[in-house]
Amino acid sequence: MKAPRLSPQTLRVLETFVARPTAWRYGYDLSRETALKSGTLYPILMRLAKYGLLETKWVATEDGVPPRHTYRLTAKGAELARAQQPAARPSLRARRAALSGGRT
Amino acid sequence: MSTLPFPRRLATLLLEAAISIAPHEALDWGHAMLGELRHVEGNWSALFWSLGGAGVLAKHALVALVFPAANRSALPSGGDLFSKEAPMRKATLGITAACVLASLLFFLAPVFRQAFRVSLAQWHDVLHVQAPFTEQSDAVLKDLLRKAEQNHDAEALAFVALRTWDRSESARLADEAVRLDPKLTWVYAAAGTFYLPGPDTGRVSALAQWDPENALPHLIVAERVDIDEVEREKIPHSVDEEPAAWRDAMATAFQSSKLDTYLDRQKELDRRVLARYHVEDPFQAVAYENWYGLPSYASWDSSRYAEWLLKSGAALEARVDRKAALGKYLAVARFGEMMGLDHGFFMRDELKEAYTRLGALSQLEGKKEEAALYAELAGQLDRAREERLASWRNSYRGSDVSHWNAFLVRLSGLLLLFFGSLLALCVIGLVIRSRSMKLTSLRPSGLTLALAFSSAIGALLSSAVLFVSYWPYSHVLQRFVSAGDESGLSELSNFLGNSQLPLGAGLRVGSWYVGVSEVVFYFWFGVTILCALAVAIAILRHFQTRPRTTAA
Repeated sequence: MKAPRLSPQTLRVLETFVARPTAWRYGYDLSRETALKSGTLYPILMRLAKYGLLETKWVATEDGVPPRHTYRLTAKGAELARAQQPAARPSLRARRAALSGGRT
Repeated sequence: MSTLPFPRRLATLLLEAAISIAPHEALDWGHAMLGELRHVEGNWSALFWSLGGAGVLAKHALVALVFPAANRSALPSGGDLFSKEAPMRKATLGITAACVLASLLFFLAPVFRQAFRVSLAQWHDVLHVQAPFTEQSDAVLKDLLRKAEQNHDAEALAFVALRTWDRSESARLADEAVRLDPKLTWVYAAAGTFYLPGPDTGRVSALAQWDPENALPHLIVAERVDIDEVEREKIPHSVDEEPAAWRDAMATAFQSSKLDTYLDRQKELDRRVLARYHVEDPFQAVAYENWYGLPSYASWDSSRYAEWLLKSGAALEARVDRKAALGKYLAVARFGEMMGLDHGFFMRDELKEAYTRLGALSQLEGKKEEAALYAELAGQLDRAREERLASWRNSYRGSDVSHWNAFLVRLSGLLLLFFGSLLALCVIGLVIRSRSMKLTSLRPSGLTLALAFSSAIGALLSSAVLFVSYWPYSHVLQRFVSAGDESGLSELSNFLGNSQLPLGAGLRVGSWYVGVSEVVFYFWFGVTILCALAVAIAILRHFQTRPRTTAA
């Protein structure tokens, strides 16, 4: 499969999820950890969820307080996130070498 | 809720409003953002959180409005997984490009270019640049003058002479026009009355010889004497103190058999030159629409001289020289009638007095029919004055249609500039961010695409409204130039007059009247505040994003 194009912001969100892959995360916590504003973060979350890479759940916290939306990567999402980790990506030098037929 | 600080309350209201317009598939996400809002630390941070979230929901609402759910793509695959929905992006770009192209195509139509130029007239006061009329002098008139001199076209030279503010240049062009075609000698009158007359170099005498029955050259001579007296600070307080030259000029004017301001000749000349040189400028067509064609002091001079004649007549009557008195009264009545209601507005009282005295003299001589006629003429003056005043008021205010059309033209012109600028900013921002001019490497963000799309739609709608609002007036201009039909010129003049006011000027809110100077002040005040705000935000963002050094 051709590698999907991911923006630096999406990569940052995936990296944050990968740090604790099984934990459910709140939107505001993700915003603080990734330093992304709500206007950037939520479109990414919405797209990840739309493509089945993220699962969502409503969690009631206390009486009289509205429930909170929480997020966690699906297995497919975790696989994609791991594939995008720096260690899994070929280095720039290796890519150049491949493109120039082995000459570095 | 009411105990929450204001920014937090505002944030909640903003998100709730955004949720109310969000499409079905984004509702959960809207509630998710609203749920998180309670946990955001800091009131202003909460407001910014809400602003970001509301922006996301508004974008979804706009996309849902333009592309109904049925037409939106399903899951893309492979490389396009995170590059937003490609078909939708292409469709949006396609519609944006089509709208921009359609807006640009409007500019191919001469009528639209005319309309756009008229819509720009409102900026002359705001930006403190020249008025449309003088601006034309700089560009269109220079071009016209070049062609006129090449073709030795006397009428075109006269046309430019009548519109050139430089007195010596105006006089030179008028001389050249008259040399080429002596039938245009009347141009000396127009050039001499419209602008402050300079030293007499024989032009007024030439006019008096060319049209000896006309009172106009003598009124111009009287005005020259007036101006000379004012410049020497020797303002006469009565007609008896006036120099003999003034009294002679006024006496000749009152004895003349006609008063021709040459306005009809001027309009006809304008029409022919506008058509011959394809000058499609409505401001030139109505240049003389609200001008009476008399020198500035003519009405006042005539009124003073008439009053003096009436006094002389009364003195003669007292000496029982009725015949001489009758001559004086008749001179006033005849000149007043010759000036007509437009020009003789300031002479109305003297004219009425003349009729009253003529009636009294006729009674004394037992001419009852003549006395009744003079009484009827005096009565008619009051009625005619009321009718004329009402007509002037209507003409000054203009019809509601011309008011609204001028408003629409100004608004749509303004919006066209706004959307055009926004579109240009989107393109410049996109090129800077992509660091490339290649179309294939330009990848607009959702916000850029939404802004460009909205701007393109806005520009197209503004262009259409501008075109439709101006269309009737282009027909009026065309009818005048091609067939000499003056029926819509007054309406065109009102429309153009209103179009030159900056948007918002002329509004009356209770006892508060918004004048041009107020609009200009508030415009520049707003621009200053926005600039200050932009600088403040830039500084704030700079300090927020700057990496903080930790204390050792």
